Amino acid sequence: MDNILAELQDIFRDILDQPDLVLTRASNAANVEDWDSLAHINLVTSIEKHYKIKFALGELQELKDVGDMIDLIQAKLAAK
Amino acid sequence: MNAYRWSDIHVGLQHGFEASFSPADVSAFAALSGDANPLHVDAAYAVAAGYPAPVIFGMLSASLYSRLVGVYLPGKFALLQGIDLDFSSPVFAGEKLNVSGVVTYLNEAYHRFEIKATIRKDDGKLVSRAMIRVGFHGE
Repeated sequence: MDNILAELQDIFRDILDQPDLVLTRASNAANVEDWDSLAHINLVTSIEKHYKIKFALGELQELKDVGDMIDLIQAKLAAK
Repeated sequence: MNAYRWSDIHVGLQHGFEASFSPADVSAFAALSGDANPLHVDAAYAVAAGYPAPVIFGMLSASLYSRLVGVYLPGKFALLQGIDLDFSSPVFAGEKLNVSGVVTYLNEAYHRFEIKATIRKDDGKLVSRAMIRVGFHGE
């Protein structure tokens, strides 16, 4: 799980162009600067490519924070 | 003009077209953009800088990516969301350019796709390459 958080942090730093961004499980669009709707699509696309997984819109709409995203990624990786 | 919807888009779908720019196009772009850099508008300066003629603005040639998306792929319902762009070689007025793009990735959740696109000269020399992110309006 820590590994996924570290990998997500790299993806977020790249997409949001914030090299010093520190991501936690509690990070969400309200407390991370520039995490807007278009950045969100770019983040999801990069995450899909990185882990070679696909998200459904319904799954994404249920996510409240990075912690939920990590749990969803873990579940998808376990099901592969 | 094409009018592809999301359900029509698939990885491997591709389109292309030919284009060229005249000196008048370059002057019009300079006036429109306000970019008066002499490399693009002053022939004597361009020659002194080592080029055979004024170099066409990179963003002018890159406007062909806008045509690729807005007219061909997907066409009418396009919503251009982003472009990563690299310029490889200069272009001069009158040169024939071949623009091509192929769908390389689909994001099912948000109905957004990616196009890997290039502009090449007639001899195949790469002018620029782009990764284009496209969504739809009016869905």
